[in-house]
Amino acid sequence: MAQITVQDLEVVDFAVREHRSLWKDAWRRLISSHTAQLGLLIVAVFVLTSTFAHFFWEYNPKTDLDYTQRLKAPNLIPTEEQPEIHPFGTDKLGRDIFTRVVHGGWNSMRVGLVAVAISLVIGVPLGLLAGFYEGMGITSLEQILLMGLIGLFLGLLPAWIAMQPIQAFLFAALGVAAALLPNLRLSKRARLGLFATLGLLAGGIPGLMVAPLVGLICGVLGLFIGAMLGTNLGGKALSDIIMRAMDILLSFPGYLLAIAIVAFLGPGLEKGMIAIGIVGIPVYARLTRSAVLSVAQKEYILASQAVGESHGRIMSRHVFPNILSPIIVQGTMGLASAILYGAALGFLGLGAIPPEPEWGAMLGDSYKYLSSGAWWAVVFPGLAIMLCVLGFNLLGDGLRDALDPKLRV
Amino acid sequence: METLLQIKNLKTRFHTEDGTVHAVNGIFYDLKAGEVLGVVGESGCGKSVHALSIMRLIPCPPGDIEAGEVWFAGRDLLKLSESGMRQVRGRDIAMVFQDPMTSLNPVYTVGFQIVEALTLHMQMDTAQARQRAAELLTMVGIPGAKQRLDNYPHQFSGGMRQRAMIAMALSCEPKLLIADEPTTALDVTIQAQIVELVKRLQEELGMAVMWITHDLGVVAELAQTINVMYAGFIIERGDVHDIYKRTRHPYTLGLLGSLPRLDEAPGTKLVSIPGLPPDLIALPKGCPFAARCIYRIDRCIEENPPLMPADGLDHQVACWRWEEIAGRTSS
Repeated sequence: MAQITVQDLEVVDFAVREHRSLWKDAWRRLISSHTAQLGLLIVAVFVLTSTFAHFFWEYNPKTDLDYTQRLKAPNLIPTEEQPEIHPFGTDKLGRDIFTRVVHGGWNSMRVGLVAVAISLVIGVPLGLLAGFYEGMGITSLEQILLMGLIGLFLGLLPAWIAMQPIQAFLFAALGVAAALLPNLRLSKRARLGLFATLGLLAGGIPGLMVAPLVGLICGVLGLFIGAMLGTNLGGKALSDIIMRAMDILLSFPGYLLAIAIVAFLGPGLEKGMIAIGIVGIPVYARLTRSAVLSVAQKEYILASQAVGESHGRIMSRHVFPNILSPIIVQGTMGLASAILYGAALGFLGLGAIPPEPEWGAMLGDSYKYLSSGAWWAVVFPGLAIMLCVLGFNLLGDGLRDALDPKLRV
Repeated sequence: METLLQIKNLKTRFHTEDGTVHAVNGIFYDLKAGEVLGVVGESGCGKSVHALSIMRLIPCPPGDIEAGEVWFAGRDLLKLSESGMRQVRGRDIAMVFQDPMTSLNPVYTVGFQIVEALTLHMQMDTAQARQRAAELLTMVGIPGAKQRLDNYPHQFSGGMRQRAMIAMALSCEPKLLIADEPTTALDVTIQAQIVELVKRLQEELGMAVMWITHDLGVVAELAQTINVMYAGFIIERGDVHDIYKRTRHPYTLGLLGSLPRLDEAPGTKLVSIPGLPPDLIALPKGCPFAARCIYRIDRCIEENPPLMPADGLDHQVACWRWEEIAGRTSS
């Protein structure tokens, strides 16, 4: 029997694991799950076909018409009746559905991406601020900024009614003054009265210049705003204002709100993106706030304060990276629902403007021909929507499993 | 030795929906440079809150440092601006927390977090700071420090994380280290190692240490002075030998009495102090410990005893009957 000598033994520091970043870990977990693989495959197919559509299947929606080829069934082999190949058939104007589905993917994908980006860019910072300051003491400088912003924001309402933009700035100044003079050597009630009076004047006088009734309405509004500023709002008030605004947005049914915004902005793909983006804001704001609230309880946030880091730095360097995973997951799922919203708007004729190919609009164009047996004109764009949404949802599911902090060692 | 930290009449309150919680109720004490102070008491007696008040890390609202002065190196910390206070935190006073599992940020490497503290306060560039961080990790006894810098907190064990936290706290050579129950979440062998480590580092670096704990055994080994806290008051304070050998407050007696002993006969019941600490929302008028105290007299219910000098070196006690207790327990 062979003897193992000391020299044969390799010194291994087995406690030290190979250095691997968290993102690499997450990626490994992601590609090892079957759902995520399927999702990635579907998403990749859609992304690649729609991105490279212009290279392989040249298409000009304005000139693509052929009345001799209206509503032809799908064929893969050219026949005498149908000399051209239409793998998905043709629609009511004789346009090749396959080309339109592929090119429509570009539009649908764009709607999804831009809408989610709008929601994220507005929703995440709002949720971050609301969650962070809900449980955190506020410094005097931040207090001044906050009160000024609250004054400006609340002042927009009377300013809009009276059409006097200066009012918003008057209220902002009032807010700053309230923050700068926290004591004033006055009792709480006297202070409240003082600011309420100032608010009344700031709202009423510019309003009176327009009309007596406007002056009255703006004065009453100003009274309330002034009284509110007089109580010296803190971080909790910021959180309350943001989250109640989000609740108001969320209280409208999503599709209805999107339609209302498009009706306000006018139809078009870009307007649709904005509308869908606005509808998504409260979802991300709430998600972010709840994640921030749980992270802010963690001891490393207290520890970073104890090291002497500023609020901005703690928020960006310690809080933000720790709330990324739920946002990434929700963002991926959100892409799916934004595409669905885009298709719905398109179906109603509020999204893409006609000759432009878009899945929802294609459905809306063709569903009337279902009764005459032209199933292909509806089934293929519908399938595209379904598969695309399914792909993003599967990917989102896989991402959630991969990024779940509970699974981390 | 010169006085490093002087606390005068510190009062911290929390305004909650149920009423005002009187967490710290006017405490006075001095801490000398290089001194090791143990702060002991049961949960909710204001140990941690008073430490966080010194650092001004009490979230306000709902917290509120109502009154008091915290003199540190010639400045009243409670009057400093927020940015002035940020300069003090980490550089002059550092803090180590209870739970090493959550006190490191999981998304950054350990090295990154130590480097961050160094670049923030010591005007070092990243390369210098990395070098220093590796030295610090070696100093707190983490082998292979250079490679360990690139590890994430989840690759560290609990004891190593607490060592890393201590390295981070010591990175800017603070004059005062506040350790808020740093060994509570660790098992006994690791506890002993951490206590040894802090003892060694304290001797090497000569900083003052405030060790907050409910473990009387740990402070006996480490501290020179002990503050015993109860319901937001300091009820006994003195040299560690005085506290253990010439205990003058019935609560401290109870605390010491309730320690399990190795030489006890098997089957002996553990001693405990009857009753519960008072509701901090509605503090009694008299001594906060009166309701549980076996030495209680009428005066205890009427009047809260101030911290008064007792026998021994700087020994202070807040009890009307300390002399009688001294007679009974005599050293």
